[in-house]
This record gives sequence, C-alpha cells and structure tokens, in this order.
Amino acid sequence: MRNLLHQFGQIFRRKEQSTVPFKVLFADFKKSLELNNLILDLIADANDKLSGDYIFDEQYIHTICRQLTDLVRELIVIINHLTGQKYSDLFLSFHHIEEDLEAVLRGKILFPVKQFILPYAEVSRAHIDAVGGKNAHIAEIGSLLNRKIPAGFAITTAAFMAFWEENKLEGTVSEIKKQWHKKEIGVQVAAERIQQAILAGVVPRQLEQDIINAAVDIINRQGDDAALCFAVRSSALGEDDVASFAGQYRSCLSITLSNLPKAYLEVLASLYTPEVMEYRLNKDFRPEEIMMAVACQLMVPATASGVLYTHDPVHPETESMIINSAWGLGEPIVSGEVPTDHFVLERKAGHAVTAMAIVRKEESLVLRGCGAIDNQPVREDQRTEPSLKNQQLQELAGIGLQLEKYFKRPQDVEFAVDHLGEVIILQSRQLHLQHKRPPRACDLTGLSSKYPVLVSGVGIAAMEGVATGPVWMMGRDGDLDDFPMGGILVARYASPQLAQVIHKAAGFISDIGSTTGHLATVAREFRVPALFNLENATTVLTSGEEITLDTECLTVYKGTVPELNYYTLHEEPIEEMYEYRLLRRVLKKIEPLNLFDPSGDNFTPKGCKTYHDLTRFVHEKAVETIIDISFYHAHHRNTQAGQLVWEYPLDLILIDVGGGIEGEHEEGIRPGQISSVPMQELLRGMSCPGIWDMSPSKVDFSSFMSSLTRTAPTRYTRPEDVGRNLAVISAEYVNINFRLGYHFTVIDAYISERVLDNHIYFRFSGGVTTTTRRLRRARLLVEVLSHYDFLCEAHGDMVVARLKRMDKKSMLKRLFLLGLLVGFTRQLDVKMIHDVKIQEYFDQIKIIMEEDNVR
Amino acid sequence: MSDKQTSILILDDEPIVSKRLQPALEKKGYEVESFTRSADAMARIAERQFDIVVTDLKMEGVDGMEFLTRVKEQFPKTEVIVITGFATMATAKESFNKGIFDFLAKPFKLGEITSVIASAEAKIKES
Repeated sequence: MRNLLHQFGQIFRRKEQSTVPFKVLFADFKKSLELNNLILDLIADANDKLSGDYIFDEQYIHTICRQLTDLVRELIVIINHLTGQKYSDLFLSFHHIEEDLEAVLRGKILFPVKQFILPYAEVSRAHIDAVGGKNAHIAEIGSLLNRKIPAGFAITTAAFMAFWEENKLEGTVSEIKKQWHKKEIGVQVAAERIQQAILAGVVPRQLEQDIINAAVDIINRQGDDAALCFAVRSSALGEDDVASFAGQYRSCLSITLSNLPKAYLEVLASLYTPEVMEYRLNKDFRPEEIMMAVACQLMVPATASGVLYTHDPVHPETESMIINSAWGLGEPIVSGEVPTDHFVLERKAGHAVTAMAIVRKEESLVLRGCGAIDNQPVREDQRTEPSLKNQQLQELAGIGLQLEKYFKRPQDVEFAVDHLGEVIILQSRQLHLQHKRPPRACDLTGLSSKYPVLVSGVGIAAMEGVATGPVWMMGRDGDLDDFPMGGILVARYASPQLAQVIHKAAGFISDIGSTTGHLATVAREFRVPALFNLENATTVLTSGEEITLDTECLTVYKGTVPELNYYTLHEEPIEEMYEYRLLRRVLKKIEPLNLFDPSGDNFTPKGCKTYHDLTRFVHEKAVETIIDISFYHAHHRNTQAGQLVWEYPLDLILIDVGGGIEGEHEEGIRPGQISSVPMQELLRGMSCPGIWDMSPSKVDFSSFMSSLTRTAPTRYTRPEDVGRNLAVISAEYVNINFRLGYHFTVIDAYISERVLDNHIYFRFSGGVTTTTRRLRRARLLVEVLSHYDFLCEAHGDMVVARLKRMDKKSMLKRLFLLGLLVGFTRQLDVKMIHDVKIQEYFDQIKIIMEEDNVR
Repeated sequence: MSDKQTSILILDDEPIVSKRLQPALEKKGYEVESFTRSADAMARIAERQFDIVVTDLKMEGVDGMEFLTRVKEQFPKTEVIVITGFATMATAKESFNKGIFDFLAKPFKLGEITSVIASAEAKIKES
C-alpha cells in the first residue's frame, strides 16, 4: 500500500517538474552521461600509467587529480540541477574525498584501515600501506598460495600513528633530526635520543587492549601442545623493497602475552637506528613514509629452520637454488652465528641436489616453554645428520619457485620445520642478486636473431615485464580451475573472468583486449606481464609450448630466453619509484567502487568514499530521474516518442533523442522504423525463436511476452500507466528500463565504431519465486555473462554486468545475448527447480549464440 | 656514422624520467647518458657531442629552452627532442623555431619516444 502511495506521489511530482521542458532535462542527463564516461576513462587511463609502459612525473599525478576533481564536482552540480537539489549532500562526501586527495598529494599516507589490528585472514596486498610488506606478503602466502604460515596478526600503521600522536613524537623526532641534519649532533646520538623517546612512550590504552585481545584470540585457537608466545617483528613501509633495510630492524622472540606492548615499542624504536637513518637519507624516502607496522606471530617451536634463496645471489647464471639450515630456531642461522648445512639444488624441475655440505652442529636455539629460549646442546646422533630431509628440500624448492612466480622477483625465504616435519614459511622477501658485471640493457639487442620469434611488433602492453612458462589455452585446455601454476594464459578476449587465476599466472596474452579493462587493472595490481590485442595469438601459439613473453618489446619467443629473464631479475622494480607509489595511493581515493547495490544501505551520498562511488551514484540517480520524468513526458505531443507496435505485445515506449527512429509514427513505431542499432539488436534477441523449444511445458512466445511485459490492458491505458517499459534511444545508444512488478531490468549501451566509447551496462533483479530459484537464476546469468566476457557482480539475486571497449560487432553480439536473456530469465526463476538446470540452460544459450554467429 | 652506436643525452629534473628511459633505450642498443641537473648536462655537452638530446623544458636553474639553444648552436647536427608536461602552443612554436626535431607531451608511452628517436636516428644516418 505504501508502495502504491509512493507511486502516486511520484506521478504528481513528475507533473510538477513538467514545467521544465524534457529536452532541457534530457540535455542535463546526456551531459551527466558524458561526464560519467570522461571520469571513468580518466580513472582507467591513470591506472594504465601503472603498467610501466608510460613515462610520467609527479606533475602528471597532480594534473590528473585536478581534472578528476573538477569533473566530479561538475557532475554533482548537474545531478542537483536535474533533481531540484535533491542530492546536495554529495558535496559533503566530495569535499572529504577532495581533502584526503590533497593530503595524499602532499605526501601524507592515509590509512586504508582505521583498525589498529588486522588478523592475517583479513590481510591482502590492498592493505600494504596499513600493514607493511612483510605482513601483507606472509598473509597472502597463507591465504592465496595455501602455504602453512604461523598464526598471527598485523599491528597497523594506524596504530603507529595513534602511538606517535599520543606521545607527541612528531615534534620530538623532527627536532632531533634537525640537529642531526645541521650536524650539531652525530647520527649515533640522534638515533639514541629518538629511540629513548620511543621506548619511554605510552602505548595507547585501546591499542594495548586490541593487541592483547588479538593474541588471546590466537592462543585460544591453538591445540594444547602449541607454544603460547609470540615473535614480534617489524613490517615497515618499503622495508621489503630495499635490500639494505633487511635485517636492520628488531625482531623480539618468545614474547609472552603481557610483554607484547613492550616488545611492540622495541620494534618501533628500531625504525631509528643510525644505519637506517643514514640509509633513508640517501634513498627516495619522504618523511611521511617513515612508518612501521608490526607483525605478531605465534612462535613456531621449530625442530629445524633455515633460509632458502631461489637463485644463487652471487652466481645467478648457475640456475640453482640455495638452502642453508640447522637445528632449532632460525634466528642464529639468519644472523650467521652458527654453522649451517648447505644445499644447492637445480632450479629446473626435478630439483636435483647438486651439492651438499653437512656441518657438525653442536648447539641449537630452542623454545623451552613460554618466554624462554635457550641454546642447548644438540643430541649426539643428530650432530652430523642433515637438518633437512630430501623430501623437505624438494618441498622447499617447489615453494620457492611458487613464491618467485607470485612475487615476480627472486625470493629470500625464511622457513621453519615443526615437530611434525611440516614446512612453515615465516617470511619471504625480494632477494637482491650481486654480479661482477650486472647485465646491461644493451646486451639484449639482437635477441630476435638469436631466438625463434613467434609474434613481434603487434599488440599493446597492459603490464610490462618478462614471463616464461607453458602456454595454457583458454577454452581448449579445460576449466580455469585447472590452470597450472606458472602458466601463461592465452585467450581470445582479455575477459575479466581470467582474473581469478591471477595468483597462478606468469603472464596473460589475448587476441583482443584493452589496457584499461578490468583484467589489465588486476594484472598491474599483481604485476603480471600482460600483452593484449595480438589479433591471432590463439592460432599462432600452441598449448603446452614453453614461451617467453617480453611485453615491453611486444615480442613472444619460442622457448626460454635466459638473457631476458636474467636482465629482468636485476631491473629495479617500479615500486622503488616514489611516483608509482604516489599514483597508487591517490588511486585508492579515486578508483575503488564501494557502491554496488542501488538498494543497499550504503547507496547514499554519505556512502560514497571515492570519486568512482560518487560517479556511480550520480549515474544511477540520473537514470532513475530521467525515467521518472519520461513516464509523464513520453506522451507529451512535442517529444519524439511513441509506443512500439510489434507482433509481440511488448508495452514499450521509445523516446528518440537523435537518429533512433525514422519516418512518421503517429500510429506508433514499427520495428522497421527503429534505426537505433543497439535497440534493433536487443529486439532481435528478445524475439529469437528456438529458445523456447527447450521448455518442457511449451510456452508460446506471445503469451510469454505478454506475461512478461503487459502491465495493463491496452484499452484502459492511461498516460500514467503506460511506459513502465521505457527505452531512450539514439542511433548509437539505448537506455532501456523494464519495470515489471517485482522485476527491474536496466540496459544501458552505447555502441559505435569508436571502440573506446563502447559500453554495455546490464542490471537484473527481482522475481516472485523462492530465493533459491532466484539465486540459481543469478548464477546462470553470471555464468553466461562471464562466458561472454562481461564483468559481473552478483549481490544476492541481483546481477550487474559491464562490458567495455570491444569492437562494434562483438558488442552487438552481446546485446543480442542480453535480448535473449531478458526474454528468458523471467521464466527461469519459475523453472529453476534444480542446480542441474543451470548447465542445461547455459548450454542451450551457447547453442543459440553459435547458430546466430553462423547466420 | 653507419655502425657507430647512436648516443643520446637525456635531461629532466624529475629523476623518474631518466630512470625509466635510460634502461629502455639501452635495451634498444643506444648509448645513453642521463642528467637531472641542467648545469651538469651543460658541462657534459661542453666535453662531447651527442647524436640526440632529449630534454625537458621547464626546470630549475638553466631552463630547457636555454639548454637546447646552446646544443643547437654548438652542434647543429644534433637532433633535439623536447619532452614537457607544460606543452603550450607558444613554447612548442618557439622550440620548433630553434630547430628541434620533435615535441612530446608528458606523459608519453615508451613506444612513442622510441619511435621518435628512431626517426631522428634515421634522419641523422641519411645526412
């Protein structure tokens, strides 16, 4: 009832608005679409700059932020103009984001999370500015690569800032640093004074409580035989990227619950040792970036520990891995205080042990209950025994290569072996290789005459880099679930669904794809080399064939090219450059989309946390508003509008905004008069025969369409009632809205010869059957749409799908598909009686699509 | 100068430009030296000639326009490529009047600058 009243209210409101000519309002609407596209393009372009293929400077980052700020502001002005200032709250959210952005541009690091503590299960690389590299990496090794890691949590940079502010350390530290810079005091004295100030600080109450709670939570989940104390280690920002930081910061071992806050301060204080202070001075580090997150990990009562290098750092050309290990805890091994067993393994499959030196191990560091670690004599029979079994060496080699592929650099891995003989990874960071003569870029000239080239000079690099691995052909080599670790994925389209194997893929290659699509963005996030638009990669390359991909030179070689791999190992990672870090940081305030579901609680002006959110919100409201207005105006005799006259009783009002309809249409518009190409294609899909043949209880199309779209008997139709199905069209554009009882479908598509402008947006929700059936329908939609390269989000039974920047023909084919689905899905929730149906219908749709291809 | 390596000098006060450009060009077989301070670059061209000079326009100290003017006076055969984030018609026109080879607005793709450099190289080799 309330709904009904609301609808009447809407009708009256629309009448009031009718004083502003529709054309004027529609101009606003069109402008909002234009801005929307401009903003999304700029965001995508900015992300594209992270590919490494561009040369940009800090100035560029400032410029792009200023442009985006201006466009988003304009968009908010327009939506308020269109709606009579209904969304003025948007300005508030906008100003918050703008302020944050300004701060980031000044060099400030905003905390992506406000929590002081993040358990490892919740940590990913997106949190790297909150938890530091060490935490982020170890958490991903556990969650994404499924390796065993110690239970633990991160104490975030937000906690660091809270501690810093509560103890007013910023002033103290900068005063001491100033004296040091002026050479009034030496670095030793400066470091000592800063460390004292930190150690004398008070851990904020809330932080102390959070640390203890997180630790208790971990202890409660352990079995009886576990050690109940912690290792507290540094995880400073940028620490993992820079070799010289490694090992500079403090680690505290075997810390009991009550001593955790004290150990936390000791680790923080190591941020200001003389060596680190000197080092930072010489590197590209801004004062605002000097922050430390901390790792708290349950101690592993290791029977053996060690370090694995995935390359020989001094002779990388030997293609071998090195493992050093000894009995007991790892600390004396890492710091080189005890003699260790030394193993050399081949990097190539099989990992044969090519050299082994077993030393006599007299003592080992062991965990003796809580809070106590001791050097103990090694049992006589173990002293000359290798501290790792062959099987463990093999397992380590496999893990090492997996980590190297995932992090894209040679790795220096610390591990422990527990009392069950299982390998546990404690940390993994980049291994810096030394060379008598580091490889030079100019050594790489003339590679193409030395190695067989499969593809060269075509395509675009979505992410720069070199990858070697076997070709895995999408569609031919099985499901994405079977994608092998370290494979190079070759596909017809750079489809968003491929992103699900990002943690396994060494590289991506596609025949068709754009550098601003979703897959490109994810490839850059995970630094997976990606080369798109190769046109015929799927025919030129062969499944299982080993290839080397060099995206910078747009070249694919047959086999491996050691020079290239070699050179890449030594290249400075992009992240070492401040500009890349800054661009990543500003994008965090711009790019993420938090508003998915228009009916969700956060779909409000206040819920907008990024420019993308604001843009999305405005787009949604602009479409909603123009539809509301059109319901009334559609029958105004001055508008270019009319009802579709079709052999199927589809109650559809068409509004033409330019080139969408031809000829006279006093008596309604016949399909033949529609010159809007996207609209034609949708209607073609909706009226596709054949699709209904599979129905067990045969449903004839007319009666189905009628139940689908008829909202009131035509002869009783009043202006307010018709037009519940509305399409705003032009020669290249369609915005179609079906509002049918509980169903709500939106399709917004622009399709022209200009590939960059092409987009399709599809949303489907609602239904009258049980939730389970509706969820099945959502799953079917996601499967079908993903298969045809849409980027899909499903939230409950609502499905949103997007597709951008394919050529006209491919886009139209997919609109035809949407036409099919619109007609189809309504009956689906009635028929979705079993999960098996999903596959059945999916197969049927694929057949229809294939047949249409042939047509 | 058929088989000799083509030499390139890069001048940009933003270190990231040389950092990215130098290895990319070396990978293509060029001999590259890069500078972030115009005074240093100025001193270097007093010592030797480069086939190609890539320079930013707006920098602290000696301005890019001044630098390229000096280069062209001293070595008329050196091809100069200007890269700048502040491309206006006026500056573009002025630098073309000084006889530069091409003008690229930042940010640009590695591929774009390498193809400009390749055509500058071709021009040098023709002459």
